Amino acid sequence: MSRKQADAKAAPAAHDPVLLALVQNRLDHISQQMGHVMLRTARSPIFQSHDFSCFVTGGAGQLVSQADGCPVHTGSGGFAVRGILKDFGADIAPDDAFLVNDPYLGGGNHLPDWVIARPVFVADRLVAFTCNRAHQSDIGGGAAGTYNPRATEIFHEGLRLPPVKVAERGRIRKDLWNLLLANTRTPDFLDGDLRAMLGSTQIGAERVGQLFDELGLDEGLRYVDGILDHAERRMRAEIAALPDGVYVGEETANSDCFERMEVLYRVTVTIRGDSMTVDFAGTSPQMKGFKNSSIANTHSMVYVGIGSFFQPEMPRNEGTFRPVKVEVPYGCTLNPRPPAATTFATAFPAHDVIQAIWKALAQAAPERAVAGWGKAIIPISAGRQPTTGAQYVLYHWNGLSGSGAVQGRDGLNQIAHLSSLGGLTLPNVETWEQLYPVRVVRHEFREDGGGAGEWRGGTGVDYVADVLTPAEYSFRGEGLYDPSGFGHAGGQPGAPGALHVTLPDGKRHEPPQYSLENLPPVRIHNLSPGGGGLGEPKRRAPEAVLRDVRDGVVSRGAAERLYGVVIAADGRSVDLEATRKRRAA
Amino acid sequence: MDGTAAMAGTRQRPAAPWRIGVDVGGTFTDMVLVDDTGILSVFKVPSVPSSPADGVIAAVDAAAAHFGMTRGAFLTGCGLFIHGSTVATNTILEGKGAKVGLLVTEGFRDSLEIRRGIRFHQWDHRAAYTPVLVPRSLRLPLGGRIDRDGKELAPLDRAALDSALAAFEAEGVESLAICLINAFANPAHERAAADSIRQRWPKPWLSVSTDIVPIVGEYERSSTAVVNAYIAPRVVTYLRALGTRLKEDGLRHPLMLLQSNGGAVSVDQVASRPVNLVLSGPAAGVGALTFFSAAAGGNLISMEIGGTSCDVALMSGGTVGVTDDLVINQYHVAVPSVDIHSVGAGGGTIAGVDAAGMLYVGPHGAGAQPGPACYGLGGTEPTVTDAHLVLGRLREGSLGSGGVSLDRAKAVAAVETRVAKPLGLSVEAAAAGIVRLLEQKLVHAVEHMSVQRGLDPRRFTLVAAGGAGPLHGSPVGRMIGCRSVYVPRLSGAFCALGMLHSNLRQDFVAVTRPDSIDSMDMAGLAGRFAELEQRARSSLALEGFGGERLRIERGLHLRYRGQQWSLRVAIPADRPPDAASIRAAFEPEYRRQFGHIQPDGVIDVTALRVAGIGLLPPLKPAVPPAAKTAPAARETRRVYIDDKLGWRQTPVYAGADLKPGHRLAGPLVVEEATTTVFVGVGETLEVDATDNFMVRLGAPGDAA
Repeated sequence: MSRKQADAKAAPAAHDPVLLALVQNRLDHISQQMGHVMLRTARSPIFQSHDFSCFVTGGAGQLVSQADGCPVHTGSGGFAVRGILKDFGADIAPDDAFLVNDPYLGGGNHLPDWVIARPVFVADRLVAFTCNRAHQSDIGGGAAGTYNPRATEIFHEGLRLPPVKVAERGRIRKDLWNLLLANTRTPDFLDGDLRAMLGSTQIGAERVGQLFDELGLDEGLRYVDGILDHAERRMRAEIAALPDGVYVGEETANSDCFERMEVLYRVTVTIRGDSMTVDFAGTSPQMKGFKNSSIANTHSMVYVGIGSFFQPEMPRNEGTFRPVKVEVPYGCTLNPRPPAATTFATAFPAHDVIQAIWKALAQAAPERAVAGWGKAIIPISAGRQPTTGAQYVLYHWNGLSGSGAVQGRDGLNQIAHLSSLGGLTLPNVETWEQLYPVRVVRHEFREDGGGAGEWRGGTGVDYVADVLTPAEYSFRGEGLYDPSGFGHAGGQPGAPGALHVTLPDGKRHEPPQYSLENLPPVRIHNLSPGGGGLGEPKRRAPEAVLRDVRDGVVSRGAAERLYGVVIAADGRSVDLEATRKRRAA
Repeated sequence: MDGTAAMAGTRQRPAAPWRIGVDVGGTFTDMVLVDDTGILSVFKVPSVPSSPADGVIAAVDAAAAHFGMTRGAFLTGCGLFIHGSTVATNTILEGKGAKVGLLVTEGFRDSLEIRRGIRFHQWDHRAAYTPVLVPRSLRLPLGGRIDRDGKELAPLDRAALDSALAAFEAEGVESLAICLINAFANPAHERAAADSIRQRWPKPWLSVSTDIVPIVGEYERSSTAVVNAYIAPRVVTYLRALGTRLKEDGLRHPLMLLQSNGGAVSVDQVASRPVNLVLSGPAAGVGALTFFSAAAGGNLISMEIGGTSCDVALMSGGTVGVTDDLVINQYHVAVPSVDIHSVGAGGGTIAGVDAAGMLYVGPHGAGAQPGPACYGLGGTEPTVTDAHLVLGRLREGSLGSGGVSLDRAKAVAAVETRVAKPLGLSVEAAAAGIVRLLEQKLVHAVEHMSVQRGLDPRRFTLVAAGGAGPLHGSPVGRMIGCRSVYVPRLSGAFCALGMLHSNLRQDFVAVTRPDSIDSMDMAGLAGRFAELEQRARSSLALEGFGGERLRIERGLHLRYRGQQWSLRVAIPADRPPDAASIRAAFEPEYRRQFGHIQPDGVIDVTALRVAGIGLLPPLKPAVPPAAKTAPAARETRRVYIDDKLGWRQTPVYAGADLKPGHRLAGPLVVEEATTTVFVGVGETLEVDATDNFMVRLGAPGDAA
């Protein structure tokens, strides 16, 4: 294994290095400010958990800055803007604004994420787009709230929007606007949220225009290129530091949303010098259910997998990913033919793609390996508030899973979806009980849920809740039956998830893994999957095992059996002698 | 007199009674004294982190020695002693708090450790959390359940309490906290458990979540109770000891502490809620802003820059915002705190060039050890202070306090090796680039506090404070479009000065079931305000405040129906609440922050707030007589102005030579006891009637 030297030290002399840093910092600040405008002005509650991203692209759609946003959106914005450029070409004028969501017709990632893109002109030249991608509260389709686990075609999933001009020369197109509002169950939210998106891109466009005014057109373009070039040099240096080779990573799912079956996600990462190819040849063909991933979403997930593998302060613009070539066979589940359903892809297979890439890269840089995160199994309950009759949609976020261990840190015992890199904040139980007819009975770590390892996987949780009204349930039990948080380097996988409900007559009912069911008031028992462990369990520090046993997250039996640690009779110390013997055996 | 003490002021004995503010920071302990005729003196001594009380006493002794008095005589003449201390903060940062046991509702042992999954840097998924303050083995369950409306579903399990206490005893737990599900709606179980504990638990430290913050949200409420329990034994013991020591040495009035809400309180009253001291020092900036608003107006943005960070606070119409959402070392603390935005940008912030040739400044800093390269304490990485020294804006040699001396050659070497050469720049261009990039971050921090809250920063006066602030005031002010920048002469003791212009303050909160202002029982609301006000009045009566020296402020947490977050809005305290006046208070604030209102929206009340304020006499410093003659520069030195103008021979004034009425055109440097002021070309420095500096930026081209 030869470590190569990266010759990427000096910036080209053509750019003033101070100005380059200032411009990059300014552009990041602009995308953050667009995000704040969005937060301040959007209507629907979903945006308070920041399920949106603001970004700036160059005139050709190349992503320049996305300082504010959801990892799941990383890099896919360029696809949407290029979709707009393809359809509208020369028919793009100042004060126009475009809207797109369709993964097949316009570079969208999945239908609920709508992109508003606003062109920025300087001296009659199209220099940039300021954009906002946001998950809408409802877009029609077969289930309230955008997730229809019974969908088999994109037509079941909601309104499809190829690139459309939503505002022309500063005027919103009323005919189109009315069409949009006619296709949602929550027109008030959509009306307010779209206006917030338009407002935030407007602020962004003004600020980008200002920056170009200060720099001058040619200099502005040159410095935008300089920023992309810098990111490219950073990435090339990171890749060059990895040994050349061909690394294969595989992940599997156990369902196509209708039947138990193995779905394979296979990635071959080839590192040559300072560039990398990511090839999904061998991945399963597209599936019946709504877990197919659009090509834009697949790219995003590749970028999250790679971006999160390296240093967190790496830039994440289009330049970063120039050295990365992504190949996805047409017709596989990560680049499906229309009209395959795709809505769930931003959670699954997003999770699988990121982990397959982590597995492959870990072979090149073992010290940066990440053990598997548990896949979520949380249901959604939709019903009517007992007092007002108003529709509610309740996500059981407090049933989310545990994460995998890394070198030097145990897995997090409960954390949000991997595709957000855990960026979503869980609600307080007390707040949820105020908002919804639910009473949470338990929200605690599992015992022996985390995969054993020198660094232990996150435990997952035991979540039990009484839903007090009849409700329609969307079950999406991706992490059921089989362990999903894989172990690494001798570490063991986390425990699989388990889910059942108790009916009013006390009977136990186990819903299908993916299903829509109408149920009376029930008690949900959601045992979430644990994360994987990293390294041999017998290398775990005995004091850490003792603490886990005292904390009740590892049983005494598991401590002896898996970790080779014998706890003394008083339960408060390690029996060192017995442990030594056991570990030597 | 040794070199540690008197920085400014007069040797003449102060006129009794004098007032003292002492701010213990990480590196220096600042004392500001104002005597009965309004004469100000400042003292700066090194802090003693291992024994903060010794730092306080050292400041007292330095002041006493300066005036030729004994410690006893000095303390006896003191009418008010206000203390801002980092002891609470440091206990948390250093992980040196007590062993805490936490009682929770059965089924919810882990809220504290799950932390609602909040990540502090999303892309850094490998980062570990700071250690949970109570391990799971000491988070013990109690059976019993209150529902969301406060109704008891299952009684408190007293047997479980007995066994939990026995377990805590066996484990050597020092301090207890209790947080039960839905206790905000009905604290009966928490109180019953607390009563039992007080009868049987031998140690005095017990933190009951609803006594500290009766808010909705088991994570934030338990985290706050736990932080309180964690720091109480050390902080309260320290404060009591310091109070006793000062009393024994002659202080005749109780020692007062500055709280995170910007108000002062006695040791006795803060002893049950030391968590209120987490922002003790920086929160005094509110007092300073209030003080300077008399001369500089009520729309101010302060930028207090020290060695490691820049604290930005905003005063609009004479009021500084208060928030309930404070995070320290990743621990959430939901107590009323002055709204301060802190960014890692200070004199010690490190600059460098990344692997692909991009200049960066921060986020890491050099701290006090080794500090900037120019300190000569072993630092080799260039910092912002090094850049200023390279550019001639700071003076070589002794810094005047703390025995630090600045070595320009070391600064040049660090900037040259780490930044100039890798980028192919001259040393001064590299140093100027470091300063510019830092200043852009400062601009963004100011915009965070203003633009993002719907306020236009151009309508504010920037207050450049802290030891390093006045070097950046003008450039930052220009970039955000301010017309002027205010520079307090005592910039380097901004917070200690602020303490002398603070009031006493106690905050009280009560949550309600969300209820519409149009249909709720207004008499009931008035009654709940009256209850909170009664608590505020009795608490301030204990400190000797009542009648005209006591003011009550009311606030409500309001939101449109269906929303999940509330806006905190002040309402009149001098008349019964009614729907129209509540709406009239809510809508403009909502529009300002969110850009729109819902004209027919139902407005729900979610919580009531009362602040009891004990009014202390305002700070009225004596002002030196106006200038009669023009000041002379002490010297001229080469200072790098900017990339266009390059180096200029620039006059350097001693602060002591500048008097009210003086007006000087930049470029110039003023060296004050606690700071250095840099004024650029086309800018004018005026000494105002209160003896502070106002820098007029002017428009480009209208240089005065």
